[in-house]
Amino acid sequence: MILTPLPIPTPAPPPRWYWSLPYAAVALFIATMATLLWLTHRQDAEEQRATLINDVLWMEQNLSFQFERNNALLTQLGPALLAHKSAEANSTTEARIKRALDPESGMNRLLWLDRNGAVKGAEPPYTDSHLVGEASGTFPSSAAYRLSHALGRPVYSDAYSVIDNQTQFEVHVPIFEGGHYLGSIVGVYAINDMLARQVPWWFAERYRVSVSNNLGVEIAARSKVSPLSTLAYEIPFEPPGHGLNLHITAYKSEIRWIPLLLMGSLGILAAAIVWSLWQLRRHMQRRHLAEQALGSEHAFRKAMEDSLNTGMRARDMQGRITYVNPAFCRMVGWSAEELVGLLPPMPYWAPESLERTFEVHTMILDGNAPPQGVEIRLMRRDGERFDALLIEAPLIDANGRQIGWMGSMVDVTEQKRTRELARQQQERLQATARLVTMGEMASTLAHELNQPLAAISSYNTGCLNMIEHGALSTAELTGILQKIGKQAQRAAQIIRRVYAFVRRSEPKFETVDIDAVIREAVGLVEPDAERRGVAIDLDLTEPLPPVLADPVMIEQVAINLIRNGMDAMTDTPLAERRLQLSTCEHDGMLVFSVADRGKGIPPDVAEKLFAPFFTTKEEGMGMGLNICRSIAELHRGRLGFESRPGGGTIFNFSLPVTPP
Amino acid sequence: MSQPPSPPPAHAFAHIVDDDEAIRDALGWLFRTRNVASKAWPSAEEFLAAWKPDWRGCIVLDIRMREMSGLECFDALLERGNILPIIFLTGHGDVPMAVGALKKGAFDFLEKPFDDNALVDVVIRALESDARHQASKETQATVAALLTQLTPREHEVMQLVLAGKFNKVIADELNISMRTVEVHRSRVFEKMGVRSAVELAQLLAPGRD
Repeated sequence: MILTPLPIPTPAPPPRWYWSLPYAAVALFIATMATLLWLTHRQDAEEQRATLINDVLWMEQNLSFQFERNNALLTQLGPALLAHKSAEANSTTEARIKRALDPESGMNRLLWLDRNGAVKGAEPPYTDSHLVGEASGTFPSSAAYRLSHALGRPVYSDAYSVIDNQTQFEVHVPIFEGGHYLGSIVGVYAINDMLARQVPWWFAERYRVSVSNNLGVEIAARSKVSPLSTLAYEIPFEPPGHGLNLHITAYKSEIRWIPLLLMGSLGILAAAIVWSLWQLRRHMQRRHLAEQALGSEHAFRKAMEDSLNTGMRARDMQGRITYVNPAFCRMVGWSAEELVGLLPPMPYWAPESLERTFEVHTMILDGNAPPQGVEIRLMRRDGERFDALLIEAPLIDANGRQIGWMGSMVDVTEQKRTRELARQQQERLQATARLVTMGEMASTLAHELNQPLAAISSYNTGCLNMIEHGALSTAELTGILQKIGKQAQRAAQIIRRVYAFVRRSEPKFETVDIDAVIREAVGLVEPDAERRGVAIDLDLTEPLPPVLADPVMIEQVAINLIRNGMDAMTDTPLAERRLQLSTCEHDGMLVFSVADRGKGIPPDVAEKLFAPFFTTKEEGMGMGLNICRSIAELHRGRLGFESRPGGGTIFNFSLPVTPP
Repeated sequence: MSQPPSPPPAHAFAHIVDDDEAIRDALGWLFRTRNVASKAWPSAEEFLAAWKPDWRGCIVLDIRMREMSGLECFDALLERGNILPIIFLTGHGDVPMAVGALKKGAFDFLEKPFDDNALVDVVIRALESDARHQASKETQATVAALLTQLTPREHEVMQLVLAGKFNKVIADELNISMRTVEVHRSRVFEKMGVRSAVELAQLLAPGRD
């Protein structure tokens, strides 16, 4: 169920760093991962570089071996080629030449020169490659020849261009036999061919190999169509030397997907985490704001509720109390813990008006509560009674379903008392005003009447005086008597005027339902009756035949008789203070009876009861019953009284039934 | 009617001030039957307009009148130095007002309805009172006239005589002979029209009724 006041725990506000913590963790994570990746990458690069260097060194080594081997082969060939005058060679030499010119050796031509430098022979004898600059004397071959001869060891020549965009160099191997220089064997290397043959396929696959001369111009290269990476290594190409450089550049290896994928997914993951964290934070912030709003709203409501003087209580559909506010508890004197969960009858229902309270309760549960509220009499814990104004409204839950009733209760005892006091004051004021008006009227009337009477009296005394002296003439007496008569007429005139004034308030007859008039009168005196503790019992015969009467006057009579009845019971014990009002039709007359349980009317009072200005009350004017009787007579009815069996008096007011 | 009518002074009137014609007429008739001369005034205003300081008699004033009330008229008369006795006629409820007027010097008041002859009796007493007052006023005027005839020396002697001193003492005090004192004394008596010092004292006694 609802509405048990929930103490909402107000969470301590998180410290400032609270929200930066996950961000810091994420940042740290990302940084670590990035570092790790970078480290990996770097290691990778190092490794690649190391591999490159290894490969390059290996390659250089390989080339050096090849040159050594070729030189050895040329040295072996030398004596055979140079010693014999004839060019015919034996089969061994043939095989050796063939071996030297094997594409694997890198040499594409062999020349053998005699000790004078003249070409003795060549294999193959001719080539298509014409030497560039052969005629100009810049041909590097002779320098190498001379140097090799001089040094007695193989010397490499400078590289030189030949047509077909080829670059060649030579190795001159001096041949000695028995300390005699025989000549030189020259191996011609075409660098391009050499690169093509000497660089193994796996190496070419990985690296671009190029040779540049001392000017940095690339003179030969082995490459494929593939992008190059920045990873490169350069070593001097030695032998043959002469400023040639071997330039190795790694091809861009195929993209390494795994670390990239790792990196990417890591980045996406981190972004997702940050995003979700941010979303979460926003959500939390919104939630926090909503919570704060709810909290302050709750506090506001609570303060409002607690500060209310109006009692609030909620009930479920069965009438069980589900909630009461402090004002309600204060009003009835029971605590909220004691009240919540109770089913009717509630402990604060006054036992004497239990029936009516139940009626009201049922009416409310049936949804028939009047919107302006119901006034009921309730009881505090100490037994004190109080009047409360109860206003009920249906209690609707979040789904629009009615789950009970919310009622506000206002203690109107004081208000009622004030109202009653004000009414009494008003009544007293009116009575006073009436008295003052009447006094004024009486005074005026007395003065008006006094004048002619005083005049008459004076004339009269004068006459007597004259008679005493015996000096009164008949003529004089006649004049005086006429004057006396005139003053008597004047007095009569005044009386007539007063009468005419009184007659202005004649009754206005109309068809009247006496029961309705009596109910109205009871309604008017009810608050007074309640205050005096008098219960009014209505025993009306319905329907009564209509009568022709002045409703205002009849109501006046009813109110007067009821008030008199209540006044009569001032000293009657509370339990017996019941005023019985009844109507009946009897003998062509409608009779309205008011029966009290007072002390009855003593015989000496009974005689004067209807006389004007007779009263047994301190504040009374003695006109009430007199007026009532006058009204009865105006309506051709009667007003009488009789003793009531068992104590008290019954006043009977009868009116003739209007003939149809 | 038990009391024999005592005749009031011939030129004195009972002035009746009442706005009711019948009352004026009836009172006029009543007063005539007791030999009291009266004049009737229909309103306080008219009466005040006609009033003279040397009037004699008394005033019968109705308190409740349409225009100027009896009490207002009374105040106006006091202001003008009226010395005529005033009798108020009051209705029921005006008694406290009338008592207030009595304290301010009204002669009497009667509450309506009154015994008519009792009113006449009061009026007659008022007239007599006025007459006595007038007489004493006249005597005082006479004495004052007589005193002016005395010489300064006679005046001195008279004062000492009134102080009850013997001739011898007076002679010593005034440093004159006893014989001279006697002469002065007899001349004072002669001029003042008295025969003895006692009569002289009575004549000059202040606060006479």
